[in-house]
Amino acid sequence: MRIPEIKDKRTLYRKLAAAAALVFLATLGTLLARHMNLGPARPAPDYRNFGPADAPIVIEEFTDFACPACRHAYSGLAEIEKTYPDKVRVIFKHYPLTNIHPWSVEAAVRADCAGRQGKFKEYAGLLFEKQNEWVMSREPQKKFDEYADKAGLDRAVLSACMDDPEIARQVTGDMAEGDMRGINATPTFFVNGKRAVGFGQLVDQVRPLIITLK
Amino acid sequence: MTGIKNITFTQWTGLAGRVVLGLVFAWAGFLKAVAPAEEFAYAIETYKLFPQWMTTLSALTVPWAEIYLGLLLAAGLFTRASAAAIGALMVFFQVLLAQAMIRGLPITSCGCFGTGKSNPIGVELALNFILLALAALAWFYGRDRFSLDRAIESLSQSAPRKEKP
Repeated sequence: MRIPEIKDKRTLYRKLAAAAALVFLATLGTLLARHMNLGPARPAPDYRNFGPADAPIVIEEFTDFACPACRHAYSGLAEIEKTYPDKVRVIFKHYPLTNIHPWSVEAAVRADCAGRQGKFKEYAGLLFEKQNEWVMSREPQKKFDEYADKAGLDRAVLSACMDDPEIARQVTGDMAEGDMRGINATPTFFVNGKRAVGFGQLVDQVRPLIITLK
Repeated sequence: MTGIKNITFTQWTGLAGRVVLGLVFAWAGFLKAVAPAEEFAYAIETYKLFPQWMTTLSALTVPWAEIYLGLLLAAGLFTRASAAAIGALMVFFQVLLAQAMIRGLPITSCGCFGTGKSNPIGVELALNFILLALAALAWFYGRDRFSLDRAIESLSQSAPRKEKP
């Protein structure tokens, strides 16, 4: 004699087991894709992209304006860009280490506001160049304003921009992306998607690519 | 075993609705799950309806729900339950979009497929109606053919059973 309830329970258990397997595989696949950065690339604003869009070498740079190694890497990367202008595209992303550099986020926001005025590179260059002046300062805003004048920024536009929540969101978005991509040191680069930590590793990765392109 | 030739038109539409809607939903969830949750949270914030805690919670959970429900539906497992859940979510999304349109909120990305550029809200509303129609097809006719539901049920029926004395 067949007991329908038992039959139903057995079917239900089988379905539940199949659903659990599906959920497990989907979770595993998604986490793996996330770990391997297989999601769509998160774009940076235009003023933080340098070099041709179809360049064969794309370098994403996660950096902190207050970090000495980032300053060194920034000038080194500028040399690479200058030497191979048609081969390299650099995408600048903020990764301020807020636990040790209290002014990094503000510097990043100001740099993006300078970018809106078409002066990202100039302002970022000054922030790195004058790093020692403002990093340990208690009130670096005066210095930041000096750099703004030096870069030829409109101060009124700059301060209006700094109140725009969208600009802060861009910085926190970069930080969240950096967290997700497992960044725990600056500068960290991704050369055609492959990670390089520090300028030495960056050169090690870029050099063979340039040789193969010659 | 029933051949492909014996499948009726309504069964085909049910199958297509189930698979298309399931994969669209799973893909939408995947794009959000592999991006930082803060991005999707921002898209939710632009609807100006929820408190911060709810926004964060939704940004962390909704993408996964979309992936699981989408795959369950595409595979035809708990077909009706997953079609109903997806349909309910779609209705909720429609309400969000409609209120944003009525209030004239400046939404540049609906957040439907992550935070990339999206269609204008009106277009997204219209597209969602198509997806709702697919959910209805999946509910009515989706579990009949090529579904894990049917496969498991036939397996259970064909398996030998111990009879009670």
